[in-house]
Amino acid sequence: MASEVQPKPVKRKPMEWFNLKGKRVGFWGYVVMRLSAIGLVLYLMLHLVILSQLAMGPSAWDGFVAIAKSPAFLALDIVLIIGILAHGLNGIRLSLIGFGVGVPRQKIMLWIGLVLTIVFSIMSALAIFSEVK
Amino acid sequence: MVEKQLSRERTSSWSWILQAFTGVMLVILLGLHMVVQHFVVQGGLRNYQQVVQYISNPFVFLLEVAFLIIVTWHALLGVRAILLDLGLKPKTERRWTAVLTVIGLAMITNGIWLSATIVSQGHV
Repeated sequence: MASEVQPKPVKRKPMEWFNLKGKRVGFWGYVVMRLSAIGLVLYLMLHLVILSQLAMGPSAWDGFVAIAKSPAFLALDIVLIIGILAHGLNGIRLSLIGFGVGVPRQKIMLWIGLVLTIVFSIMSALAIFSEVK
Repeated sequence: MVEKQLSRERTSSWSWILQAFTGVMLVILLGLHMVVQHFVVQGGLRNYQQVVQYISNPFVFLLEVAFLIIVTWHALLGVRAILLDLGLKPKTERRWTAVLTVIGLAMITNGIWLSATIVSQGHV
């Protein structure tokens, strides 16, 4: 019975992520998910490399801490927070839909995710830069 | 042929469920990580002495190791999903899975070693 209609696995090469013509908003979510995913994987690896400076003793680490508190570095932290929020909030939406929860409301959930990403990112930016004075 | 296809579909649905499960856990673990490592810390980042003292707490140690394992797993499953979207041959797919598994185990081992090394700095 199931063998009659075998859906082909969807192939989607990375170049198609940027072809938004005629795509539904759900596809934008997919693209945001993929791009933020790649950024976050690269960040994770960089983060682990930087943390390994802790094995080299106090001067290596405390030197990094001084750099990490510079305004340019803090601006990158905000980019990171935007990526985490967009990925995490859309991830919650995808998990819910995947388990059959709120499927008819998938589009509104995408917009809620976007709004929360913007709101929390602004709050984080204010919190981060209010400490630097 | 059909059997092969079905088994591939099963594995991909398993990786999807794992991805959702680790994803939900990350919302909690990353949330905790951000609060305890940055939000409650004066200036947002601990200096060396503070890091040593902090990670020496067994609960913190376990939290950070759990976070490391789940985040690495989720990240590399995600890389695998992107690769599978290219429409790989089953053999190539298995090779990538093996390569990513090795990378993941290396990241986790290195992280646990690093955490243990930092803890040992406090006992010198």
